[in-house]
Amino acid sequence: MKLGKRFGLTVIGLAAAAAVMTGCTETNAAKPAAGEPDAVKTAVTEESLGLRKTTLYSEQGVAPEKTEYINTPAGSGQTFNRAFQDAPPMIPHGVEGMLPVTKANNACKGCHMPNIAPAVQATAIPSSHFLDMRPKHKFDGKEFKKSIDNMKNETSVKKINKLAGARFNCTQCHAPQSQTDLAVDNTFRPEYTDPEGKHKSTWEGTKLYEGLDTVQE
Amino acid sequence: MSVSRRDFLKSSAAASAAAAVGMSVPSELQARSEQAQSGWRWDKAACRFCGTGCGIMMATKNGRIVAVKGDPAAPVNRGLNCIKGYFNAKIMYGADRLKTPLLRVDDNGNFSKKGQFKPVSWKRAFDEMEVHIKKALKASGPEGVGVFASGQYTVMEGYAAQKMMKGGFRSNAIDPNARHCMASAVVGFYQTFGIDEPAGCYDDIELTDTVVSWGSNMAEMHPILWSRVTDRKLSDPDRVKVINMSTYTHRTSDLADIEIIFTPNTDMAMWNYIAREIVYNHPEAIDWDFVKKYIVFASQPVNMGYGMRRSDEKSVQQGKYDGKEMETLRKEMRKEVSDTEAPALSVFGYKEGDMMENKPAGLKHWEISFEEYKRFLEPYTLDYVARISKGDPDEPLDQFKQKLQTLANLYIEKGRKVVSFWTMGMNQHTRGSWTNTLSYNVHFMLNKQARPGSGAFSLTGQPSACGTAREVGTFAHRLPADMMVKNPKHRKITEDRWKIPNGTLNPVGNQHIMKIHRDIEDGVVKFAWVNVCNAYQDSANAHHWIKAAREMDNFIVTSDGYPGISAKVSDLVLPSAMIYEKWGAYGNAERRTQHWRQQVVPVGDAMSDTWQWVELSKRFTVKDLWGGYTLRNGVKLPDVVGEAKKMGYSEDTTMFDILFANEEARSYKLDQNDPIQRGYDNSEGYGDFRNVVGSDGKVFEGYGFFIHKYLFEEYAWFGRGHGHDLADFDTYHRVRGLKWPVVDGKETQWRFNSKYDPYAKKENYGDFAFYGTLAKALSQGNLTGITDKTKKSLKNKAKIFARPYMDPPEKPDAEYDTWLCTGRVLEHWHSGTMTMRVPELYRAVPEALCYMHPRDAQDKGLKQGGLCWVESRRGKVKARVETRGRNRPPRGLVFVPWFDEKVFINKVCLDATCPMSKQTDFKKCAVKIYQA
Repeated sequence: MKLGKRFGLTVIGLAAAAAVMTGCTETNAAKPAAGEPDAVKTAVTEESLGLRKTTLYSEQGVAPEKTEYINTPAGSGQTFNRAFQDAPPMIPHGVEGMLPVTKANNACKGCHMPNIAPAVQATAIPSSHFLDMRPKHKFDGKEFKKSIDNMKNETSVKKINKLAGARFNCTQCHAPQSQTDLAVDNTFRPEYTDPEGKHKSTWEGTKLYEGLDTVQE
Repeated sequence: MSVSRRDFLKSSAAASAAAAVGMSVPSELQARSEQAQSGWRWDKAACRFCGTGCGIMMATKNGRIVAVKGDPAAPVNRGLNCIKGYFNAKIMYGADRLKTPLLRVDDNGNFSKKGQFKPVSWKRAFDEMEVHIKKALKASGPEGVGVFASGQYTVMEGYAAQKMMKGGFRSNAIDPNARHCMASAVVGFYQTFGIDEPAGCYDDIELTDTVVSWGSNMAEMHPILWSRVTDRKLSDPDRVKVINMSTYTHRTSDLADIEIIFTPNTDMAMWNYIAREIVYNHPEAIDWDFVKKYIVFASQPVNMGYGMRRSDEKSVQQGKYDGKEMETLRKEMRKEVSDTEAPALSVFGYKEGDMMENKPAGLKHWEISFEEYKRFLEPYTLDYVARISKGDPDEPLDQFKQKLQTLANLYIEKGRKVVSFWTMGMNQHTRGSWTNTLSYNVHFMLNKQARPGSGAFSLTGQPSACGTAREVGTFAHRLPADMMVKNPKHRKITEDRWKIPNGTLNPVGNQHIMKIHRDIEDGVVKFAWVNVCNAYQDSANAHHWIKAAREMDNFIVTSDGYPGISAKVSDLVLPSAMIYEKWGAYGNAERRTQHWRQQVVPVGDAMSDTWQWVELSKRFTVKDLWGGYTLRNGVKLPDVVGEAKKMGYSEDTTMFDILFANEEARSYKLDQNDPIQRGYDNSEGYGDFRNVVGSDGKVFEGYGFFIHKYLFEEYAWFGRGHGHDLADFDTYHRVRGLKWPVVDGKETQWRFNSKYDPYAKKENYGDFAFYGTLAKALSQGNLTGITDKTKKSLKNKAKIFARPYMDPPEKPDAEYDTWLCTGRVLEHWHSGTMTMRVPELYRAVPEALCYMHPRDAQDKGLKQGGLCWVESRRGKVKARVETRGRNRPPRGLVFVPWFDEKVFINKVCLDATCPMSKQTDFKKCAVKIYQA
């Protein structure tokens, strides 16, 4: 039974050529088989592999890519598409003077709190950030008691009227983006289940629980 | 135990969800119907990255991953991930995935070290490996075959690799990159508790009043734990105190109440200062009932060197280390006692200017009295410790002193719960094992260890440093479940379980990861295989190891998802299935084991590392591997071919049949009616639609049994009933991980605490039982030596060690005037092979910057954003100067992360290690910085 036919996707690579090989070897030195197409295949140089497209053995001609963060002012209305449905959005504006996030000063909140965001054309912090998802286990100094049962995969989701403490460090998920060319392309293809998914999180309501029961008896 | 649908619907989860969002429909039911509409399949999995061990929810459609979201049911992270966690969705889709084996060949297609890479078949790849392994065994015996293993192996991969290396090849030269990451923590655990891994769990964060982060930038390196700390701090800002102990300011400081910037290595002095405050100034804070019942005091030799090469080693003799390098290397043999360490060493009989002759000391230690320990602490006055520890030259001494005093007071305060977290700062340290034990000293005296909300808690760096490297035992010296290769009883248990002849296992396990590199340079290791790590980018003093790989007579193989630096310097490159392309399990830093299912089929001809090991095992028979050998140190491995025959094997039985496809293995059935397996690919079990042509030149049709389940269950057998109990395979697929020991279906929150740990309770010793068994009988002595060799048992007790502040072997001087510290950044994982291929992560941090103080930049004539050279006695790299970034060093120190192939900072770093743990100190060496 080959499940992959149902669940997988064909990926064509160099491998197709390798599959033609026929068997042959003896004990002292592994040898290419007669008629093996290896010799005619294009060689891959050491330098062409990986991200450092030059010699490893000297640093003279090597330099790092230059970081050039987008410095569009906040509030210009420009955004990046989310990488996939409900992915954390990247920061589309310059952040100079706004970081670091400290307990005394979270500059992100200044514009992105839902009650302010529309007025300043900022992306509003979504409702998922105003939920406390951590159950509060009890400890009275003597006995520790879990407030929910982990063997049943229980969850505890409570609405709160302030930004969840766990989500206070905005830069943990959201980062500014340099205009640097990619080192290597990425073939991931996003799919948005929500028509507005490119720009908006809809991770709320029943979607919070979608798929959590992963073993179907 | 199973979670039925009814249970799920009945659960308060569904109830509280409905309440929270104001629904009348049971939430899960509706969610299910929405899922069906989208055509997405959601499943749970573990994050690929750090030791936090978050759960993720992963969606696939048409054989591709399409999304990742937080898992509200995952106890570690409750619906939230960090930026890397979310982008697990994209890590397997870099355009340059390795899809076929690549071999260096000459124009005729024959292997050549000087050749260029060409695609070859799996069969040819295994032919070459077979030939070169046989050559290496002939030249050097089992010590000639090495594996750079990993804390990122799945449990099953690590177990398969370990079994073939130790049981098949009889080689203990398998050691993980986890050696670089937490070996010092392990020695700390073994020496203190007699057993590995933490007492506490992450729930300590919500229960504590005080978080002290020692050499751990948790905000970037354990972001989700930091989100829990942040939540705790913000929930009770006056009561909860956060202290960041670091050699430079970073994001963890941004939330802290107090930040203590100290001189590299002086964490040891500060721990001893806190201990001195307790013993001399607050003796009433000592819980004597606890200490008398559960603690003994201990000392050890101090002149043990710095884990560098010694002058009699072959490559040093051959002049492979030049004059500049020898300036530091010489200190391995002898070092002059400096004015900074002299006061601390006075009680060990040294004074400033003495020449300390260094000798390997192993792990030797002996029991001393409390009075001796008290005498040891005497030098650590506030004046002395502040003088050597203050790390910011611009901070007033009085202010620094005041902070140290406040820190000590917080620990000492009665009724205040304290958790001390640490990671690489304390582990990557030439006295890392010592420093780890110093943390327990303080917690023990105050009876603030192994209790809810209190304890010294080592955080690991890698996703399965605990689960695979430590628990499976893929270290040179270890076997599963805390057993050791040097212990004949442990070898016998393992041999019997593996159904291999007694005497097969090699008792000499000394080829730790740096030793494997050095053995390659010395020409002893002739075959090395890089598994799930990037040994040629991640090792300090990299130039030596790369040169040895490329220029000497050996054969280096790298298995990886992407071509990193290790692939570039290899002779053979093998395409590996990546994390969600295989069934797997990881174990995190709070002892939580988490499993996931194969989500998609691998790309190209890529196959899992498990498959690669199992296929390799088909190439070796009893007579190939189990004859007699004499090791370098003269130890003889007996010929066990005769014994093997008595067990029913023939000379030609393959290791595949013995170790991996035996009768027991075949009893683990593939079954599409099994709810765990139903609808999920199993490329090793069934093969898959790609029809990959395998190691025999024929299409791989699958092993026909559930090999992952077999490997997991066989491995788990070792720990059950021995304090490491794991649940069964299926249970882990039904729950979001469990913290071992899992006894009677229940996980363990706090080990060694009789209220929570059934093993402690079973000892019937009291409120606690430190029941580890390693080094639990000691001779008696004073600080400097043994006076009575009689060994006294310390069953169920733990140890407090008298371990002095000492200098690192290389410090800034007139020419190399700046400290260099390396590490990670939030957005990139290790050497960047995965994260540099995710556009969002790459663009967040496309280069490794040289973070430095603006005045240092000014004094050196450097401009913000300009290029500089960072040069040590070993090598130099170019990086861009950053004076305004997230890391803000004091004058005299720079930080350069190591993820960037173009800023190959490990060429600059020093390969000194803790001589006990063999863990490299990546956090300190001396460099000069100048304009490029």
